[in-house]
Amino acid sequence: MKIPDYSTIRLVLEEGIGQLELNTPPSNAMTMEFFTEFTSVLEFVKNHHAFRALIISGHGRHFSSGADVPVLLREILDKAETDKKGRLTKVPDFLSNNYKSLLMLESFRIPVISAIRGVCLGSALELALFSHFRLCGQDAVFGLPEASFNLVPGLGGIYKLCCISGQALALERVLKGSTFTSIDAMKYRIVDKVVPKKALLSTSSDFAKEVMQDFRVEKRALYIKKYLS
Amino acid sequence: METIDKISWEIRGDIGIITLDNPPENYLVQPGFVPLETLKKWTSYDYLKGIIICGAGKHFSGGGKLENLFKMIRDKENITESMEKGKAVLEHLENLEIPVVAAIQGICFGGGLEVALSSHIRVCSENALFAFPEINHGVIPGLGGTVRCFGKTGFPKAMKLIMSGDMINAEDAQEMHLVDFIVSKQKVFDFSFNLLQKLTRDRPLPVINAVMKALKNARSLSIEEAMKEETRMFCELALAEAKRRNGSREIQK
Repeated sequence: MKIPDYSTIRLVLEEGIGQLELNTPPSNAMTMEFFTEFTSVLEFVKNHHAFRALIISGHGRHFSSGADVPVLLREILDKAETDKKGRLTKVPDFLSNNYKSLLMLESFRIPVISAIRGVCLGSALELALFSHFRLCGQDAVFGLPEASFNLVPGLGGIYKLCCISGQALALERVLKGSTFTSIDAMKYRIVDKVVPKKALLSTSSDFAKEVMQDFRVEKRALYIKKYLS
Repeated sequence: METIDKISWEIRGDIGIITLDNPPENYLVQPGFVPLETLKKWTSYDYLKGIIICGAGKHFSGGGKLENLFKMIRDKENITESMEKGKAVLEHLENLEIPVVAAIQGICFGGGLEVALSSHIRVCSENALFAFPEINHGVIPGLGGTVRCFGKTGFPKAMKLIMSGDMINAEDAQEMHLVDFIVSKQKVFDFSFNLLQKLTRDRPLPVINAVMKALKNARSLSIEEAMKEETRMFCELALAEAKRRNGSREIQK
């Protein structure tokens, strides 16, 4: 098996664990190209049984600052189909593909772990919310800031936050749009464990090695109790 | 200020205030606490950004009055009809596209708790008490309270609350996710009002509506359908924002 080269993502396989690194420094913003490549990477991982776990992290100091909003707006203006009054009639395919990729990620039969350092904002947090487990460094900063530029999270972030943290918290976090710390993220049940940032990748790998032995998503709470507490 | 069936309504800024206004215990006259047409009329102002439900005086609400209920039960058709109406009122409240905060102090029992559970955020005082006392009279909560309670606390805790009829305090209620914030009793209303203002002040109504719709979808749709809708709402807002930014750039030229 030869792993293809991607320009916005680094993918390596070590001892059965796929390490997927978001790689558009400095803040690993999720560009249009990133989303396209992300879908290909997920398909590649899904089709190769050598991958027995997947750890998603960001290259360098940050996980990711989320989508590149100005570019995204331009693309939507360009590609969205509208009626004569300018009302939306069809969501562009590239946007639908993005949420379908996250559904595919969630349906993986191998454990998917997001290892979060630095900022994890907007679509990046949505991506993390669709992985099975989330570990973060003490320095991690989270947020869904979309409302502060007149948008809403569009990749299932509201849905997931509502399920994980409850309706009141989802409402508060999404409407405020402000960032929050790793300690808050733990309190809101958004992350499963906070570790010193230098130990994040090794803790994630050790955890993956345990869980990938008999991974079943229904046993999520059990794995957390057994290996992370 | 308007009042119907011992329920009052006023608007302060862009926040609507519903007061359960039948002190001291604020017993509800109707199972659905306020007629649906009235609630629709009150909540139809298009500048409203949020709603608070509170009780007059020391308590939120003791729920429906038993004598009333038994009087109604004698007429079987009547009770079914008024319960259906009540459910429609609470569903309307829950599905509003602006946030509803229940500001709870003192007792919050039975029908009062059902109203509180239909709100999106629950703030309560340290001395608040919660219960579904229906079981003591051989009935169960009948306005969707059982389902809403399961959704928040999970099955075992909801079972215990509903089957025992026992009272629980604010701390226990928070621990089982029945309430979201506990504050001192003098501050319940102000905290709720400030919270709503903070959440909605800088947000245009289409953004607030989209967030509320997405939360409703999270309660009622499959994940695939809910995500499809979330992406569509995002796209609508993004299109408007892109046009706005484009427009302002042209003006700058």
